[in-house]
Amino acid sequence: MNGAISVDSISYAYGEIKAVNGISFEVARGEILGFLGPNGAGKSTTIKMLVGQLVPQAGSIRILGMPVHGHSSEVNARIGVSFEEKNLYLQMTAEENLKFFASLFGIKRLDVRALLERVDLAGRGKDRVASYSKGMRQRLMIARALINDPDVLFLDEPTDGLDPVSSRAIRAIIEERAHAGTAVLLTTHDMNEADRLSDRVAFINEGVFHAIDTPENLKLKHGTRSATVRIRVDGEIVEKRVPLDQESVGDGLKGAVNDGEVVTIHTEEATLEDIFVSMTGRGLV
Amino acid sequence: MSISRIFTVFRKDIAVGPRSPIILFALVMPLLLTLVLHLVFGGLLTSRPRLAIVDEGASEVTVLAQQLPGIETTILHSTVDLKDRVEANEFDGGLVLPADFDRAVRDGEKPLLRLFIGGESYAVSRLVLAVTAIDLIREVEGKSPPVNVELVDLGRADPIPLSTRFVPVIAMYAFMIAGLFVPASSIVEERERRTVVAVLTSPATIGEFLIAKATLGFVLTVSMTAITLALNDALGPAYGAMFGVIVITAVFWTMLGLVIGLASKNSEVLFAIVKASGALFMAPVIFYIFPDWPDWIARIFPTYWAIDPLWRVMADGARFVDVAGQLAIVVAMSLALVPAIAALSRKMQKQLAAG
Repeated sequence: MNGAISVDSISYAYGEIKAVNGISFEVARGEILGFLGPNGAGKSTTIKMLVGQLVPQAGSIRILGMPVHGHSSEVNARIGVSFEEKNLYLQMTAEENLKFFASLFGIKRLDVRALLERVDLAGRGKDRVASYSKGMRQRLMIARALINDPDVLFLDEPTDGLDPVSSRAIRAIIEERAHAGTAVLLTTHDMNEADRLSDRVAFINEGVFHAIDTPENLKLKHGTRSATVRIRVDGEIVEKRVPLDQESVGDGLKGAVNDGEVVTIHTEEATLEDIFVSMTGRGLV
Repeated sequence: MSISRIFTVFRKDIAVGPRSPIILFALVMPLLLTLVLHLVFGGLLTSRPRLAIVDEGASEVTVLAQQLPGIETTILHSTVDLKDRVEANEFDGGLVLPADFDRAVRDGEKPLLRLFIGGESYAVSRLVLAVTAIDLIREVEGKSPPVNVELVDLGRADPIPLSTRFVPVIAMYAFMIAGLFVPASSIVEERERRTVVAVLTSPATIGEFLIAKATLGFVLTVSMTAITLALNDALGPAYGAMFGVIVITAVFWTMLGLVIGLASKNSEVLFAIVKASGALFMAPVIFYIFPDWPDWIARIFPTYWAIDPLWRVMADGARFVDVAGQLAIVVAMSLALVPAIAALSRKMQKQLAAG
């Protein structure tokens, strides 16, 4: 295994409950892997093992070629983590928070202002975090995760609680980091986000992987596609649905088009959520 | 182990300290208790009445006053200056001795002697200064007192005043709040807000994090105890021995603070532990206030061994070697806490991961 993140058959149980059960995967440099699964699926436990908070009861993890456990300081120096919980120092300002963590990483010179500008907080850097909204705290969490210019980035629900504009800005930062060669592992409930951002997605439920592939391949392999043709017949709008995953697609479309005056034609493909539900038998929330 | 990261966490805690009610409480409480003690028993920084003298001649009264051990005498050169400074409470009283004062006294001319008294001076100081002035003049006059006064000590032969016997209470507060409560509450706060998780996913280790918290408690304890003792004029004659005692005792209290901080899942548990154990920790100091109570009971409490060396250096003038045996017990108790700290830190990390 030579990925930035290499995970081999890791397992973890809380007492009798198996939270993660023998999952393996790799994330290459510059790749974004989206972790999709409902609450309690094993996403957070996996991330906790990856960042060294939990020691796997079986299997092994290597980050940038180093085993996580036993080399936590070396590994942590090269990763960035944004937790779902907003664990910032509320009584400190945003600038103080970033400078404090920069100092822990041994970073002597940090352009705090530039970092805050990237997450649209430049004007609030001297305000105490206690006065921040949930979305502002989330953006500061992302800024903190980027402080050491990490080679591997773990993002737990990075756009949770953000407005659409802020979400787009955060997605842009994640893509920019990936283009710069950072391996990104993100968990999310937002299917569109996972679809748009991830090079590959992993479906996890009850501690096991149900699939791990590109969103495109998952849709092709496991989803159904259709075309919806709206025609006008005797002044009335009629909708006809033509499945595209069959041999007689042409005949079906021709029939639909010839039955009246075509108003619109839309193609539809399965969403990742549809595929997740069909594979695991449960939804994502 | 990185000294730089330890210092980073420590510096952050010191910077955030003034915004934390707990640290403010730690800083203010011993000073507040000192103030209360001095309001009750009188005197702050000095217990001797302060007398200023302007001598317009070369009076023998001035020489005699300077020789009195119980009075702090200062010679000034102008009556205006004397009045201003007595009014500003720099002195409890001021004497203006006119030229030829001694001759006039001896000739029986009954010259005017003005004793200025500060409005904010203690009643006891006023009384002492007035009686002393009359006594000195009688001596200049060459007359013996009309009566012989026999001083009879009532109560204990023990000369240690009650105000001094309260000092271990204040010192114990400084130890408990700065040494125990500050690091413990700092750990609990980081745990509740889960900021410790963020720190531990940086290159910082749990060991560095805990040493930084202990350093915070240690520095505050040493400074607050030293300041408290100095304000109470209770550093004793051997400053080196006292410093050694404070340092070793501060280490014990901060380690106890780490144990309690790591054992407390949240603030409620921390307060419950401190409330429950506070009486046990404070129990030995009661025996200094009531010295007739049997000593052996105090020795049952572990914190007795951490406060008694301080008392002995302060009140008995003990040297470091005299209290070395007791301090060895304190060091042994501190070392015994190390495995507990290690086990509890592992447990805390597991709880954080599970949470």
